[in-house]
Amino acid sequence: MTATLPTTVAPETGRRPRRRGAGAWRVVTLAVLGLYFLVPIAASVWYSSRSNGALTAEFYTGIPSAPGFAEAFGRSLVLAVLTVVLSLLLMLPTMVLVDLRLPRLRPTVEILTLLPLVLPPIALVVGVRSVLAWAPDYFYGTPLAEAFFALQEPSLPWILVLVYVVLALPFVYRALDAGIRSVDLRTLTEAARSLGASWPRVLVGVVLPVLRTSVLNAAFLTLALVLGEYTIASILGFQTFPTWIVEVSGSQPQLSVSVSVLSLVVTWGLLLLISALDRRRAGKDS
Amino acid sequence: MLAVEAFRATDPVTYQESWSTDSIVAVTDGAYRRAYLGSLQLSLTTAVIGAVLGLALAVAVLGARRGRLLRRLVLTASGVLANFGGIPLAFAFIATIGGQAGVLTVLLRDFGVGLGGFSLYSMSGLTVVYLYFLVPLMVLTIVPALEGLRPQWREASDNLGATGWQYWRYVGGPVLAPPVIGATMLLFASSFAAYATARALVGSSVPLVTLQIADALSSNVLVGSENLGKALALGMVALIGVVMVFYTWVQRRTQRWLQ
Amino acid sequence: MTTTPDRPAGVEALRDTPGVGVQLVGLTRRYGDVLALDGLDLDIAGGEFLALLGPSGCGKTTALRAIAGFERPDDGQVLVDGRDVTGTPPAKRDMGMVFQAYSLFPNLTVAENVGYGLQVRRRPAKERKARAAELLELVGLAANAGRYPHQLSGGQQQRVALARALAVAPKVLLLDEPLSALDAQVRVQLREEIRRIQLELGITTVFVTHDQAEALSVADRVGVLRAGRLEQVASPDELYERPATAFVAEFVGTMNRIPATRTEGGVELMGVRRPAVGDVPVSGDVVALVRPESLLVRADAAGAGRVVTRTFSGASTRLAVALPDGAEVVVDVASADSQQLTPGTAVTVTPAERPVLVGAV
Repeated sequence: MTATLPTTVAPETGRRPRRRGAGAWRVVTLAVLGLYFLVPIAASVWYSSRSNGALTAEFYTGIPSAPGFAEAFGRSLVLAVLTVVLSLLLMLPTMVLVDLRLPRLRPTVEILTLLPLVLPPIALVVGVRSVLAWAPDYFYGTPLAEAFFALQEPSLPWILVLVYVVLALPFVYRALDAGIRSVDLRTLTEAARSLGASWPRVLVGVVLPVLRTSVLNAAFLTLALVLGEYTIASILGFQTFPTWIVEVSGSQPQLSVSVSVLSLVVTWGLLLLISALDRRRAGKDS
Repeated sequence: MLAVEAFRATDPVTYQESWSTDSIVAVTDGAYRRAYLGSLQLSLTTAVIGAVLGLALAVAVLGARRGRLLRRLVLTASGVLANFGGIPLAFAFIATIGGQAGVLTVLLRDFGVGLGGFSLYSMSGLTVVYLYFLVPLMVLTIVPALEGLRPQWREASDNLGATGWQYWRYVGGPVLAPPVIGATMLLFASSFAAYATARALVGSSVPLVTLQIADALSSNVLVGSENLGKALALGMVALIGVVMVFYTWVQRRTQRWLQ
Repeated sequence: MTTTPDRPAGVEALRDTPGVGVQLVGLTRRYGDVLALDGLDLDIAGGEFLALLGPSGCGKTTALRAIAGFERPDDGQVLVDGRDVTGTPPAKRDMGMVFQAYSLFPNLTVAENVGYGLQVRRRPAKERKARAAELLELVGLAANAGRYPHQLSGGQQQRVALARALAVAPKVLLLDEPLSALDAQVRVQLREEIRRIQLELGITTVFVTHDQAEALSVADRVGVLRAGRLEQVASPDELYERPATAFVAEFVGTMNRIPATRTEGGVELMGVRRPAVGDVPVSGDVVALVRPESLLVRADAAGAGRVVTRTFSGASTRLAVALPDGAEVVVDVASADSQQLTPGTAVTVTPAERPVLVGAV
């Protein structure tokens, strides 16, 4: 029955009037750059869907049965999954711990994890090769050397997983950090603890579900990274999906282009999925 | 974290100490000097062009009339294309303007237009290809800074009697300068470190540090050149290190303003 | 102090210049289907402090931005000192505007911010410095001239914004919810200070706010806006005591809505008859709008009302009383008389003997 005035109403947002005649350069910029970005994709699709002037899907349907594809792609996929699992196992507890218990270490962790972003992969691979060279040089005949050789097993090169974990650190860190910053993990865990939950239970039952989207985010980014990584695999001499594309490009240029188009589409799909998940989360929060 | 540390320690920086300076001296002249200069030239050109185009695109998108949809489209596309480096990118361009069979080459020839001596497999070819992932990278890094430019600043400036030019001269420009410089340096580092695209496109025909390192490692040129590769890599890391120190310094200034 | 004949400068000059009048004539602005301003007419006298009050989306900010030149009205005119400025760009209007928040240039010091208007007018550095110092003195921030905006508190930033707006000796001062982003305490302090400075300089001021307490406490006159139209323009006292419409009555201050019946020459509510005011039907069910202080309450064992809550606030105490029909009213009583009116007490509530404002149900 009483009408008391609310004093915290959202303010009106003013709209700027448009300056006249400023639109032309925008249109030109968008058109020219749009063309620049669309033409190579369109041309690739065109190039990979013609055979002797006729429309064909043979270069796409032929991908799975192309010699070497299944093996290389399968290997890349396994590497990607292993990398995702390993980097999450490494980073998730570390970051939660830093956030809850050791906030002073935060800047250090941040710098350490972002460093690989600026480290040229080619320089990293030089270092990795030097270390691998220790095995025959210094440790020959010791179990350590055996371990080193096992790392370089061509069918499943674990060494690549280790390097990719390092390369993926910045992406995993950023994705998880966004999630951790958007929720008050401390309050959440304290609430759970005060209600009697044990630490492991808090981690699995509270922290993990809250960070679900950012964990997925990190996983997708890592997946895309590993599936596209060429430098390290090629210099260390392993055959993965990207090195296979280069290999077949000599004899079957159209196949290499069709695979490239597909990999673009897959990356696009993954990233769209991420942004859709993000939006859903943002929608739920507001 | 141990695994990380292990890899850090294996970087050529620490490894290099036990060798003589011969390799270092060797990489500062001759073909290697040319490779550094080539890489620097390519990275600088692509970073500056990429920054200018990326900034223009970001401004155009943010100020567009029907902003929402276009914006989301461009930002998502940028997210994808900025990661679309490496091998697939090279092949997309080969299909477009590579050699005589490129789709665009053929199309233009049908219209009687030549590419005017432009070759994809050259420095200028690499520039065009690198921009394909550098422009989106610029868009991604500069959009937050552009969004940090509050409309109130422009309105306050107008209100106080300033012209548009005066606003950019005294407020907009100075506020945007650090993030633009920072983003340009990021582009430079990214371009400088790129290897896969260049390898797939030009092989070893264009002098670039990354290609030289790979060659030195695979001993295409001469046996025992591994140390040379390490010295080249050390040089790269040092260069990037200098850029990054400057970058952090610039970022610190920006963040203070755009809180 | 350097003064040029074409533009009087400095606080002194502002003090000596009489405020100019502003007229809005039939101002209309449409966003798609929404009519933000619907033929708004408003006369603001020279030197007057006018507050535009209304809920979010009522068009008050649009009106202010139309005066500043940031909104181009679809129809109507803005006159300043009798001259039509509707087509004049913002930069040429000589108005000082204080925005809600974050409007200070982050790369400039406090003094440079204040001096910006003079800088773009190509005044010598010496004059800029002197003027900035003078204005910072006026807003009580003389010691902060060399600091950057991000080193200041929210309240300090708004003071600097005020000094910056005044530095160009504007014809009109426009305040767009300048206090809404501040803490309650700072808000009260700063609004009094804005009023003090305004009175000292005699500058015509338009102050947009959604906070009725703010509007009533500082303005000479308050214009209540609703859906792009003015409901009422009046002094704070008049607005409170004699609201022109039910909307104004409920928007300004606290108001009880009590079911009532319109009768010949009056209105019947709570079992008593009172004279009626307001634009309502001649008979039938209506709503009586009664202020908490216009209700009388007394302990009465046979009373049908029950005290529900009792909120002490110094001199007066507010009681919420449940009526037999389940409705609740709030009543303000002198604290001294209310000690026995604890929750649960049976009471009788009656409207004070004065005309009652009625509205449609």
